[in-house]
Amino acid sequence: MRFLLRRFQRLVIVMAAVTFVTFILVNVLPGDVAYEMAGMDASEAEVAEIREEIGLNRPLPIRYLEWVGGVFTGDWGRSFINEEDVWHAITQRFPVSIELMLLAQVMALALAVPMGMISAYRPDSRADRIIAGVAFASVSMPSFMTGLLLIYFFSLTLGWLPATGYEPLSAGLWANLKPMILPALSLALVEWTVLMRTLRAEMIGVLQEDYISLARAKGMSNARILWGHALRPSSFTMLTILGLQVARLMGGTIIIEQIFGIPGVGRLLIHAVYTRDFIVIQGCVTFFALAFVLVNFAVDIAYAWLDPRVRQGGKAHG
Amino acid sequence: MGEIILDVVNQRTAFPTKRGMLQAVNGVNLTLERGRTLGVVGESGSGKSVLARSIMGLLPRAAQTGPGSSVHLNGRDLTALSERELRPIRGREVSTVFQDPMTALNPTLTVGAQLIEGLRHHLGMPKRAARARAIELLRSVGLPQPETRVDQFPHQLSGGMRQRVAIAIAISCEPDLLIADEPTTALDVTVQAEILDLLQRQVRERNMAMILITHDMGVVAVRCDDVAVMYAGRIVEQAPVRELFQRTRMPYTAALLSSIPRITDGPHRRLDAIGGRPPDLIHPPAGCAFAPRCKFASDPCQGVMPALEGDERHRFACHTPLQVEAVA
Repeated sequence: MRFLLRRFQRLVIVMAAVTFVTFILVNVLPGDVAYEMAGMDASEAEVAEIREEIGLNRPLPIRYLEWVGGVFTGDWGRSFINEEDVWHAITQRFPVSIELMLLAQVMALALAVPMGMISAYRPDSRADRIIAGVAFASVSMPSFMTGLLLIYFFSLTLGWLPATGYEPLSAGLWANLKPMILPALSLALVEWTVLMRTLRAEMIGVLQEDYISLARAKGMSNARILWGHALRPSSFTMLTILGLQVARLMGGTIIIEQIFGIPGVGRLLIHAVYTRDFIVIQGCVTFFALAFVLVNFAVDIAYAWLDPRVRQGGKAHG
Repeated sequence: MGEIILDVVNQRTAFPTKRGMLQAVNGVNLTLERGRTLGVVGESGSGKSVLARSIMGLLPRAAQTGPGSSVHLNGRDLTALSERELRPIRGREVSTVFQDPMTALNPTLTVGAQLIEGLRHHLGMPKRAARARAIELLRSVGLPQPETRVDQFPHQLSGGMRQRVAIAIAISCEPDLLIADEPTTALDVTVQAEILDLLQRQVRERNMAMILITHDMGVVAVRCDDVAVMYAGRIVEQAPVRELFQRTRMPYTAALLSSIPRITDGPHRRLDAIGGRPPDLIHPPAGCAFAPRCKFASDPCQGVMPALEGDERHRFACHTPLQVEAVA
């Protein structure tokens, strides 16, 4: 209970800080949404009129508090550009971005866990050095560049996967996944490296433990020892990193959605930034921050699953 | 003569270090019959744990086993087997209890899971039967409320209870040989006797052979049939317990024995600690390794390594053995 309360406090602080800083940043950007609304050849007077009309002239803290009040009553505002309800716009696109990030993180784990294990099993072996080399090459390339290379190779040359597009889940699972594979992989190829290296480092230590020797003394196979005995106690740092990576992943998603033409929140946000549509920007950023805090909350819960000692904290005998 | 379970011939185990090869075990010969308990005693660093791990084949990858070394378990040479071929033997024919029950159990798996996996792997038991057997084993090692304990994690048990669990794991597949590497060193004094009782009873009931590694001569006196005293990677004296205690020949063994406080000693009597330090195992002395610390050492002791000699019952490696009458 105290744990949940502390988490909630943190959530409030993070959300307040993120939304307020965004509010200020959007306001110090040159130009505002009134220019966009008035059109290319509007006079300064017309722009000022619009500014007055939508309340842009009022002091910043007042406008911020108004927006916060709106959010709490379920009114996230409407886009100044196309009148779209912000809540609606985000909830419609957010599942797409979530799917992309989830898929990317699953791919990253699917690469990182077996590769980290192979590396940790025999540190400095040839396999370890090859994996490290591939990993550093793959992390040195930004995701948009990886994305372009993947498009060139798998879409243009081989023609296996589409270069752009999006299909809703209602069109079928494979139809939905197919255009998601390359964008997710572009993100995963950056993310897996750090996960792999942290797992490797921690597992090398765990493999020295007595209980691993005991598992060997029991006649267990290497696969059973690695997956059944060593993986769980080696996963703590990797899990922490996984939660923190979500922030970077969100940034990556915004770019990758542009390249692969995926209608997620990233595209909504970019468009909103171009038009200084601050109410939409506020909405998107709030959503991203909320998602980040929630993912890291989930990571904390996962610790308890990984380590029984966290689960019954305090009840342990000596 | 009973059935010979274990036959170790000329075991040599070395580790590469920055300064050179460290000869941890240097030509050890051992045989062990079913139903008997062999105590292996020595100071820290005498090579007794490395010997145990050599028998189990659980040495670190860097370790080197000398040519001509062999470990025959039930007539089969383990040193000739691959890792894969060893798997059905480990846990089934030979199993082990480690020193520290705090680190020997996996903190992320329940007691039951760690017991059941061996039963399923070696005996092919179905899940339900293995669980029932696990509870039965926990009961037989004296763990209270085995039905609840089986689903608990190691951190929910005390040190003594964890060592009971470790023993249950070790005996779960009815091994022929149990190697207990200082199984009570990490435990409270009050629990030590209970754990040793338990080990002794299990060995007797299941007719196993046991190697009990310890630095405690008191434990050896009560719990073992035979004793091998190790010093600097070699066995320096070996005999049945009574024989060794009554007719000690090797000055090192005598020194170990006299470093135990006796109830007949008067108050404030100083303990006879062994002076000096154990030898450097990377550059061992040419002669007897104990000579620099031995009050009986003479010229040949410094230059010539004494061989382990004597009759079938009592062997010792010493140029200047104690006179039997002098000790008795």
